[in-house]
Amino acid sequence: MSSEPLLRVENLTTQFFTETGTVRAVDGISFEIREGEIVGLVGESGAGKSVASMSLLRLVENPGEIVGGEITYKGETIVGFEEGPDGERRERDDMLSNEEIRTRIRGNEIAVIFQDPMESLNPVFTVGGQLREFIELNRGLSEGEAKTVAIDMLREVGIPDPEQRYEEYPHQFSGGMRQRVLIAMALACEPSLIIADEPTTALDVTVEGQIIDLVDELQAKYGTSFLWVTHDLGVVAEICDRVNVMYLGEIVEQAPVDELFYDTKHPYTDALLNSIPRPDRTVDELEAIEGVMPEAIDPPSGCRFHPRCPDARAVCKRVHPDAKRVADADGEPHRAACVKHDVFDVGYDESPPLEGAAGTDRAAAGDVDEPESIAPNPASDESGGEGHE
Amino acid sequence: MKLLKYTIHRLLQAIPVLIGISVITFLLANLGPGDPVSLMLQGQEHSEELIRTIERRYGLDRPLHERYVTYMAGLLRGDLGQSIHYQRPVAALMMERVGPTLLLVLSAYAFALVTAIPLGIVAANRRNEPSDHASRIAALVGVSTPSFWIGIVLILVFAVQLGWLPSSGLYYPWRPPSAYPGIDGHLELYYESARHLLLPMIALGTLQMATIMRVERTQMIESLQGEYVKLARAYGVPERKILRKHAFQVAQLPIITIVGLNLSTALGGAVLVETVFNINGMGRLFINAISTNDYQLVMGITMLLGFLFVLGVIITDISYAYVDPRVTYGERE
Amino acid sequence: MAVSESQYESGREPASEDEESVEARVGWRYTVARIKRDTTARWGLYIVTVVLFVAVYAVVDSNLSRLTFGVASDYTFAQLLPIFDHPTHIPPPGEGTQHMPPYFPLAEQSWNPLPAGGTIEHPLGTDHTGRDYFTRIVYGTQVSVFVGLVSTFIGLTGGTIIGAVAGYYGGRVDDILMRLVETVYAIPPLILIIVFTVFVGGANIWYAVLGVGIAFIPVFARIIRSRVLSIREMDYIEAARAAGVKDRNIIMRHVVPNSFAPVLVYATLQIGVTILIVAGLSFLGYGAQPPTPDWGQMLNISHGYMHSNVWLSIWPGIAIMITIMGFNLFGDGLQDALDPRIED
Repeated sequence: MSSEPLLRVENLTTQFFTETGTVRAVDGISFEIREGEIVGLVGESGAGKSVASMSLLRLVENPGEIVGGEITYKGETIVGFEEGPDGERRERDDMLSNEEIRTRIRGNEIAVIFQDPMESLNPVFTVGGQLREFIELNRGLSEGEAKTVAIDMLREVGIPDPEQRYEEYPHQFSGGMRQRVLIAMALACEPSLIIADEPTTALDVTVEGQIIDLVDELQAKYGTSFLWVTHDLGVVAEICDRVNVMYLGEIVEQAPVDELFYDTKHPYTDALLNSIPRPDRTVDELEAIEGVMPEAIDPPSGCRFHPRCPDARAVCKRVHPDAKRVADADGEPHRAACVKHDVFDVGYDESPPLEGAAGTDRAAAGDVDEPESIAPNPASDESGGEGHE
Repeated sequence: MKLLKYTIHRLLQAIPVLIGISVITFLLANLGPGDPVSLMLQGQEHSEELIRTIERRYGLDRPLHERYVTYMAGLLRGDLGQSIHYQRPVAALMMERVGPTLLLVLSAYAFALVTAIPLGIVAANRRNEPSDHASRIAALVGVSTPSFWIGIVLILVFAVQLGWLPSSGLYYPWRPPSAYPGIDGHLELYYESARHLLLPMIALGTLQMATIMRVERTQMIESLQGEYVKLARAYGVPERKILRKHAFQVAQLPIITIVGLNLSTALGGAVLVETVFNINGMGRLFINAISTNDYQLVMGITMLLGFLFVLGVIITDISYAYVDPRVTYGERE
Repeated sequence: MAVSESQYESGREPASEDEESVEARVGWRYTVARIKRDTTARWGLYIVTVVLFVAVYAVVDSNLSRLTFGVASDYTFAQLLPIFDHPTHIPPPGEGTQHMPPYFPLAEQSWNPLPAGGTIEHPLGTDHTGRDYFTRIVYGTQVSVFVGLVSTFIGLTGGTIIGAVAGYYGGRVDDILMRLVETVYAIPPLILIIVFTVFVGGANIWYAVLGVGIAFIPVFARIIRSRVLSIREMDYIEAARAAGVKDRNIIMRHVVPNSFAPVLVYATLQIGVTILIVAGLSFLGYGAQPPTPDWGQMLNISHGYMHSNVWLSIWPGIAIMITIMGFNLFGDGLQDALDPRIED
């Protein structure tokens, strides 16, 4: 565990330069993925998960650009910056060239599975043809060999009659079957890391379950690492080893999966957990998170979650917390970016609660919740009620 | 096999349309105030009896529906009646004239496709760069300029001012070289045909080119934003291959449809371009027929052009079904 | 004739905007805002405005129409402008008609070189009868714009009625109407229009306008029908039907307004196509008749004087091009504004 991880991301910053301003889609996130691990990247849509995961392959679309941070994969620099003699930030010399990224990293080292299996396959080529092309390209096999590998892999992911299905077109496959094809595609290139970008979101629940079981099984067999991007904590609980929770371009909590679920340290994660049904808790009603996520183009001051946070105090508006180690679990750090923890020491406990912060925002968003839930309830959290003044 | 069934299905579907075309042209040609008989006798002394005789000869004395049935019966035998002005069978007249028109229209399409597709792809790939803006402006000018005026300007520049290219007429490459005095051998004939064809081809092809270019650009932009392109990129497929294979293949499908549908504009444009360049094709024959009130000939030409259009659409539909695996034969539309 | 619906998806029809009317209204405001920002649409709007202004000006200004129809070469462009103090060559209203020019047919060649223009009297020179060319081009705007607008309106109205009825009722009504539409669609428009104009009306601009309108009914009918087919299945239409609202009212109140945006775009672009067709029609001699100045017809006449004055064949073409470009730019801009899919 202590050796260099497979992938290390430090302070990654990706921005979109639009007419209306700079969107800080990914704003200084750090995490790592070790060999054979499934790491979750969780958040609402718009939190920057997909941009973050695409940044790993340097596939950010215009007008987006990786502007800072470092990504190291197996000792090679995917992204790296340094300060030039003129004081300008520039790309480091050891950073892989575009050509190297394309030929050495994409596909054969890091493969992806996209969210929408309906759209991800090209409608005018056969499924087999597409598989074969990618396998040929990434493993340097001949056409015939690639076809054999493709058919074997189709069988491996549980597609019946793979020889015949190989010749068929995507529209002849169901959604679940197409997602299996995409999984086969990813595994067949024999990468060390697979980025799964909401791979089950577009599928119905029973198919989702099958796909997750399949991935679990294949992951155990091949030992491939996964970065599992999702908004669904239920899926995370089922499959991931460690979890990163993203909110508005930042990682707000980072912990091993059990730790995250049973000793939640960030109010946002708490809110996320309360919004899903859980077998280990019986509640009368599921709580929706209040308000909507603000735009990354103009994030709130201080802690970005404070307008929606039930625990928000005056200090939260002022102090912007980075994720800090707040606890340990079996030697693994548990990081959270919330000033209510003692390590931040910015006077949270003395700070007055924000009057109606969450309520105001929710009203602006036009929500129509039960009236009694409007008032924030700072007394209910575990940091105790001393904050009342 | 499926494709054959689909072809037959599509051909059968075209029958009511062809019948419809015949009804419309028949009604238009026969209900109008233009009276072919008095036209024929223009300036001549004529008696009532002579008029009767002529009417009987062309069957003009019988009721409309009877005449239509007779006409359709003839049509099935390949007999389109007799041209009043030329005093020759309509079918034979059209056979002579359809060649140059088809040559013109097909070469215009070839010109349009060969230029428009690469330009459209370049524009899509360099979106919002100067080359994109330039090609968009060119396409805009192309769809906004009448083909006959382009022809006139081309004549003014290349024939009148520079004297490089001929301004009228056409050499038919399918005729023996001996048919043209001063032409020696097939090679020279082909060379002359090409020289004569060049300007009218550009005049007629510009509108098609501009239309196809615009569609190509939008389609490529859309296709390049597709998830499958993202996937190909993520698997390290070279950008050039993505452009030429993955994005291109999908973007071509609507082009096929456009080519078929634009055939009607192209056939109409041929009338104008043939007039400007003095090409003896269907277009000029049509204008002659109209100006001499030769209603049999007008009907024949309208039927033939309608038929050519329907045929073109069927051919493009079938090639679409052939290229796009998603089309389930017979259930399309 | 099964021309696939996909042409509209792939071609110019913007993405559907089937939302409820509240959102549609918000959409309109958004659209207007986007048109203001969009360079393409703005330029289109400028050109269209200028063209419309010139067309209206040509109707209102009596000097201009007399000059255009009048023959004598001593009438000049400068007389139009009040800043040049030109006395009295213009005959009082009513007398101008006496000066109707003889019509010079295509074949007749000019016997002396025509003045080249470039003077304040005749900026673009004069035509073969000595009439000021610039003035005639200005007046030609009126015919083109008039024909473009009116025949597009005819096509739009006819197409909306047929398409809405066919799409709403479906079944046999739909079958019959659509076969009819397909049949008309199958005859190349220029051919159909000429046959209609000559055989039904005799070469006359009014029949030409009507013919062009009829020839473009199918285009609109098909768009409207496909829109109606998708709207027909919406819940609020079901609700209206269940509540016993009359079919005619459902079509007029719900279905047609909801199809309006894409049709508006299409109509704007169609005006350009119409002007193009009418120019061709006039060039062949089946559009506006002399002495009414019309660009296509001017090109027809100037064709005979190609060797004496090249520019006579250039100016009307440029006028046609700019006018059509204006409508196309505006239509494109409108489409971009209504279609959020393609961001520029």
